[in-house]
Amino acid sequence: MRTLIFKKMRWVLTLLVGLVLFSAASAINTFQVADAQAPPSEGIVCTASPDSTFTLTTKSGYIGTPDDNVIFMWGYSEGTAPFQHPGPVLCVNEGDTVTVILHNTLAEDVSITFPGQEDVLADGEPAQPQFDTGGNLTSFTNVAPANGGSITYSFVASRPGTFLYKSGTDPLKQVRMGLFGALIVQPPDGPNGERYANDRPDSQYNPDTEFMMLLSEIDPFLNQAVERGDPFDMNNYKPRYWLMNGRGFPDTIAPNFASWLPSQPYGSLPRVHPFNDTVAPTDPAYNPLMSLTRYLNVGSEDIPIHPHSKSALIITRDGYPLAGPAGEDFAHEQFSLPAAPGQTWDGLFNWYDTENYDPVTNPIPVTIPNMQNLAFGQLFSGSPYLGDEGSLPVGHTSLTQCGEYYQISHVHALQKITSWGAPASGPITFLRIDPPLPNNCP
Amino acid sequence: MTKKFYRRNLTRRDFLKVAGGTLAAAAGAKILPGYLGKNVLSPVSVGVANAQDPPPDLYFAGTDSWISLPPVPGIPPFFPDDAAPPGFNTYMFGFRNVTGMSKAQIEAQKGKAQIPSPLFWLNQYDPNTQANEFQIKLTNLGLVMRPDLFDHHSIHFHGLRHIIPFFDGEPHASVTVPIGREFTYVYRVREPGTYMYHCHVEDVEHVHLGMTGLVFVRPAQDGTPFVYSGNGRTYTRFAYNDGDGSTGFDREFALLMTEVWAEAHWDFSHVQLPEWSEYKPEFFLLNGRAYPDTLAPNGSVDPFNPVRDANGDLIPTPGYEHLQYQPLSSLITCNEGDRVLLRFANLGFTQQNMTLAGIKMGIVGKDATPLRGRDGTDQSYQTNSVFMAAGESYDGIFTAPPYQGPGPYDTYLLYNRVYNHSSNQGPSGFGGQTTEVRVYPATTLGPQLIPNT
Repeated sequence: MRTLIFKKMRWVLTLLVGLVLFSAASAINTFQVADAQAPPSEGIVCTASPDSTFTLTTKSGYIGTPDDNVIFMWGYSEGTAPFQHPGPVLCVNEGDTVTVILHNTLAEDVSITFPGQEDVLADGEPAQPQFDTGGNLTSFTNVAPANGGSITYSFVASRPGTFLYKSGTDPLKQVRMGLFGALIVQPPDGPNGERYANDRPDSQYNPDTEFMMLLSEIDPFLNQAVERGDPFDMNNYKPRYWLMNGRGFPDTIAPNFASWLPSQPYGSLPRVHPFNDTVAPTDPAYNPLMSLTRYLNVGSEDIPIHPHSKSALIITRDGYPLAGPAGEDFAHEQFSLPAAPGQTWDGLFNWYDTENYDPVTNPIPVTIPNMQNLAFGQLFSGSPYLGDEGSLPVGHTSLTQCGEYYQISHVHALQKITSWGAPASGPITFLRIDPPLPNNCP
Repeated sequence: MTKKFYRRNLTRRDFLKVAGGTLAAAAGAKILPGYLGKNVLSPVSVGVANAQDPPPDLYFAGTDSWISLPPVPGIPPFFPDDAAPPGFNTYMFGFRNVTGMSKAQIEAQKGKAQIPSPLFWLNQYDPNTQANEFQIKLTNLGLVMRPDLFDHHSIHFHGLRHIIPFFDGEPHASVTVPIGREFTYVYRVREPGTYMYHCHVEDVEHVHLGMTGLVFVRPAQDGTPFVYSGNGRTYTRFAYNDGDGSTGFDREFALLMTEVWAEAHWDFSHVQLPEWSEYKPEFFLLNGRAYPDTLAPNGSVDPFNPVRDANGDLIPTPGYEHLQYQPLSSLITCNEGDRVLLRFANLGFTQQNMTLAGIKMGIVGKDATPLRGRDGTDQSYQTNSVFMAAGESYDGIFTAPPYQGPGPYDTYLLYNRVYNHSSNQGPSGFGGQTTEVRVYPATTLGPQLIPNT
């Protein structure tokens, strides 16, 4: 019955660092694949390479969870970078020959599989499942041997979309320990810089508002056993944590590279302006293009995401456009997105200000009760109106900056938006909706 | 707010530390005199801040209650709950439809939530005429069994697009309703279809404990006749604005799927906290009941014309007194040849696969969206089963097959193919999310006036 442990300090830090990062990276909205500028505080942080060659090194380290637990993990890190969770988001262009060099520092064999990619080569030869001398399957693909071994995978990224990459060796343990990441294959831009999610023209989206929700799970007893070198009976595997982009709420809405989450670089806070088709259908200030969310589930169970106040128009599944043989559109709006284990979805969305409520010209049709008679969350501005910072009772803390709206997205298998029993944590994030431009948002 | 922050600062381990005290509190709660019907705490006052607003379309009150689930099996010590009053066995949170009640009647509904929350429906909003705006007022009566708690409530209209946070009910980004206060939600729904609603405060708890209901939105096309090419009949009621009558129907039935993990419910009636990652529900409910109760008659189910006694209480159907607070039937009745719309919504936390044995069904909508691509491509499909994850809704239409006899009606089963979701864990193996479709000879049943009747 307790509302969680809301870690007010963490919220305040979130806000402050968000402000700093925001002013530092006001070029956030020009973020591009392979952009050399400071990483954006929101949105996808791409790891790109001019020749689509990546060096991934297995590392071990620790992550923090919303209940202040600290969990031992394994992970892939780029080059010589320190441990991070999840692995880097590899961004490549359709048609690229992608090369991934894996260096293994762990005391057991490790590999990488690229589900959805075809004709993957391992050290120049077709990648193959591995069997021991008794014919028992030991790995989905060729391995980098334990204690310093290396292997080079390569493939042609022939299909745009959102994919996972993950260990194919003892995946029951290694993937759950954190050996996974996202791979994004971008189709060519249009002649005027139009950005698409797949090969269909109706998949266009605003590249400034592209987001990712990578869902995973942790049984801390498995991780503890691995850290201690103890055996673990997988029959006893039972997730206690569920994460989004490697973090649980409220860390999910902290900026990318938040300093207090040193090994969990990826936030999940989408930030958009409302679309408004009655006031200004073509005004860029009203965000006329759809936004894109890339959903990935690397866990063991299906995990339905529920975005409030907007449905996701699912246009791609596992890198394949939802379309018929003659190009018919099979896209579908959903308010619950049950991503199956290993599945990926691309969803377009927008937040439409259908009512255009305004305190003077179009007030909400009911009397606002005295605020002393209600309770509020810290992401409520004190006013029903977008862009309006209302007054709240003395002693109430609001984290809004410019009357922006927040709308939650969360897993609707509600027992999973907990952290080992602490409710209102786990895979939860918020959509931040700023007032139309120009606004006074920092 | 003081109370709120005080509670936020409690940790799980603090609760464990006071476990001894809570046992005493639970014992105390058990001896509260006549808690069904008489408030031990001072009655809460319902504010008059909105007196100048026109009356809402519906008025709900959040509170707790007791319901009855099939007595087999025992799940000691959690089920049947030893704190339950006679005739009941499971502790719930829920909403009660208090539309049109006097203040005294409303206050008397504390501890008498109905499960599921009231089924209701509204019409698609017309932005040109501003017709069909819908308002629900919510108040919070507190919890009879848990005077130690000050939980707020809210209404979240699950799946509603374009809603502003103020009317969304999500507690971080919106407002919630403390005990004794009230708030009016305004809905202007532009997309018809099947939705659900629930309290979003401490959602894993309030949703699982039963503050869940089904709501659907009628399309603007309703009232305009379309001939459905599949059977040549003319329809004026539709699931969606299809333009061709393909979603026309004669009868409709709403089927809300929820779950009961007996341990969690017992925990809340005994001042304990469950560990949610251990979630393991035993009971699977259709409209708040487990088979065979799913077949029992309706109580008062028209939300706009509720039937109640002088105190405002739900009136039990003779012979079904144990279902007094579970008024909504899942029995599906139709004449041969009828097109029947099944509105499924899953507010359990796990997956269901509802199977209609012997009749094929066409899935025409999902998540309040017609199954058509942006270019109009028909994506509807024929099936015998509807697989749905938490928070999903589906609209299925079947045509009742010819009556064969010899009995008064033919029986077809609609059940959850996840077998342990269509059982009560008892020896028979039949229970849970199971109901019947009864097909009568043509013209036996008159036109359907209210859904689920």
